[in-house]
Amino acid sequence: MSLRTGRTARAGQYAALLCYLVFLAFPFLWLVSTAFKPARELGSLHPTWIPEDPTLDNFRQAFDEQPLLRAAANSLTAALCAALIAVVIATPLAYVTARHRGRLSTAATGWVVVSQAFPFVLVIIPLFLVLKHLHLINSLWGLVLVYVVWSLPFALWMLAGYVRAVPPELEEAAAVDGAGKARILLSVTAPLLAPGIVATALFAFITAWNEFFFALVLLKTPEKQTLPVVLTHFLGAEGVADLGPLAAAAFLATLPSLVLFAVIQKRITGGLTAGAVKN
Amino acid sequence: MRRLPALRAAVTALALLLAGCSGEGGRGAQGVVRLSFQSLAWQKESVEANRQLVREWNAAHPDIQVDYVQGSWDNVHDQLLTSFEGGEAPDIIHDASDDLADFAYGGYLADLRTLLPDRLTGDIPRRSWATTTFGDGVYGVPFLQEPKVLIANTKILKSSGVRIPTPGNPWSWPEFRQVTGKLTKKGTYGVAWPLKEPVSVTLNLGLSAGGQLFHRGADGKVTIRFGEGDRVMPGTVRDQVNSQRSAARSALGMGGSDTLPGFFGGKYAMVPLGFSYRQQVVEQAPEGFEWTVLPPPAGRGGLAQGVSPQTLSVAEDSPHKEEAVQFIDFLLRPANMVRLARGDWMLPTGTEALADPALHTEEDGWATGTALARALRPAPAQSVRGYPEWKDKVATPALQEYYSGAIGTEELKKRLVEDGNRVLARYQR
Repeated sequence: MSLRTGRTARAGQYAALLCYLVFLAFPFLWLVSTAFKPARELGSLHPTWIPEDPTLDNFRQAFDEQPLLRAAANSLTAALCAALIAVVIATPLAYVTARHRGRLSTAATGWVVVSQAFPFVLVIIPLFLVLKHLHLINSLWGLVLVYVVWSLPFALWMLAGYVRAVPPELEEAAAVDGAGKARILLSVTAPLLAPGIVATALFAFITAWNEFFFALVLLKTPEKQTLPVVLTHFLGAEGVADLGPLAAAAFLATLPSLVLFAVIQKRITGGLTAGAVKN
Repeated sequence: MRRLPALRAAVTALALLLAGCSGEGGRGAQGVVRLSFQSLAWQKESVEANRQLVREWNAAHPDIQVDYVQGSWDNVHDQLLTSFEGGEAPDIIHDASDDLADFAYGGYLADLRTLLPDRLTGDIPRRSWATTTFGDGVYGVPFLQEPKVLIANTKILKSSGVRIPTPGNPWSWPEFRQVTGKLTKKGTYGVAWPLKEPVSVTLNLGLSAGGQLFHRGADGKVTIRFGEGDRVMPGTVRDQVNSQRSAARSALGMGGSDTLPGFFGGKYAMVPLGFSYRQQVVEQAPEGFEWTVLPPPAGRGGLAQGVSPQTLSVAEDSPHKEEAVQFIDFLLRPANMVRLARGDWMLPTGTEALADPALHTEEDGWATGTALARALRPAPAQSVRGYPEWKDKVATPALQEYYSGAIGTEELKKRLVEDGNRVLARYQR
């Protein structure tokens, strides 16, 4: 009886998982399908998943009309720098807040919670004025600074969780063996934190890669615009869009995130501290 | 103490790095005025027309150089507001008249009355200037406008034997209702009303039946009244959807583009859409599909309908307002205005541009749209303070429920007027 119940539950879980996967995949598959459809197929009353007459025209048009490569290079620069800086700052902070409970730790946690409550539109004008005084308007470095500040609280919170998952006994054992604090951090804690650092960097990268509003407001010249801003150039007033080229460009814009996930996934899901401590 | 030189070096290096990556100050060689022009043009032909005109201007005016910046309709209000607040707004700003009120009253836009050349002032009709006049000032040059038209399936229309309307002899609202009834057959609705955003369509087309809804008193205060004229357009649509069933119920939640597949597939005989949607029809219609552009129904107000034209404004903070207006004057010369209008599949506001033969061709329905130009009026309420809140909180849900048949005319009236006046009162104390 219990075996049957277990199988039923397992089947239900798989069914739910399948539904969830379909829900997640549907927009992306639709995007891919649209990207390869000619304009006349986009107006069809009975759209098909597989384009009847697949074409690369949408990609050609997207590249002809907008500087996608330049925008992608800008996005890549901003996202990589933001991810790198955020991780470099967040890692030691996370270690301190996780290992040394005290006022700083409480304040940091409070800061994380409060910072997530501010909508973009509320902070954008003061932020704009600050960056203007720093001569960082229309500068990719200004944008990087904003992305770092914006992703830092969540990165800190995320990394602190990873630090807490590393058993302090490991560090204590290393200390007993005569390792100094720096040695412990570099040789014991840091390798175990690697998956967490990668996951946090990925989070910061994708947040910056997809971000639109700050980039729209802070970057003025076309040479510095990022990919999400350039994608909106395929949109007109009242939701009208040049759908084919928009889908083609959006499809290309999602590729780096997909590739990154595919490459790094194993590192993230690999056992964090598997077998490190014998209970 | 030893750390200080290293720290100083690091700060200097950082400062140099930041300076190297920062934007330029927006000034060119000495004596050359540099203007930035943020355009929201997005269609390929339109972007090309704008860029070409900027190139022509720059070639002819070496002392006043214009930098073309492509903006985006998405979030344009917030983007401009931030730029204004930060003192970094473009010199020349492309926008729409219904977005200007806050900027005009907020002192962000230059009053153009003393700057505009007589040629431009005289070329654009007073009714168009009214869309960019706030208080005593003029805060933008209206240059492109888009009436609603009926885009119809020619085959279905001809086979039904109904009278084909012209701008000189349009359908009345009751006749339009009869026609959609005749066009409705198995598998085909006479019309599909894409009313995802029902308020502006209702107000704009309501003018044709004498609707006004917003009434400004002698004291300058605006109140909402729901008269006989205000009932005609929404009443017709509600009837078509719920009683006559000649309008597709499923289309009520659609945007304009969403109705096109059904239109091409013969599911809808007609779709009321903005004039610029013709470009999508040309691009996406199946081969051999025949379509035509018809004027919208007329009533006591004739073919009148409200529009919110696209505009060109000058930032109040711009140190080169005169030069900016010179560029706008160049951009909106009749021949150039025609190029911009054709690029965007819209109508120019300028009288001379409207007379251009290129806009009177029967091809793609240009002639029908051009014939409607004289009937276009400022969209009702676009300058009324509190309108956005009334639209979002009161009118949109009320009209959506009304069109779907969930509430009747009296309830609609009650909500639009009573709830609406409460909202407006807060803004007019």
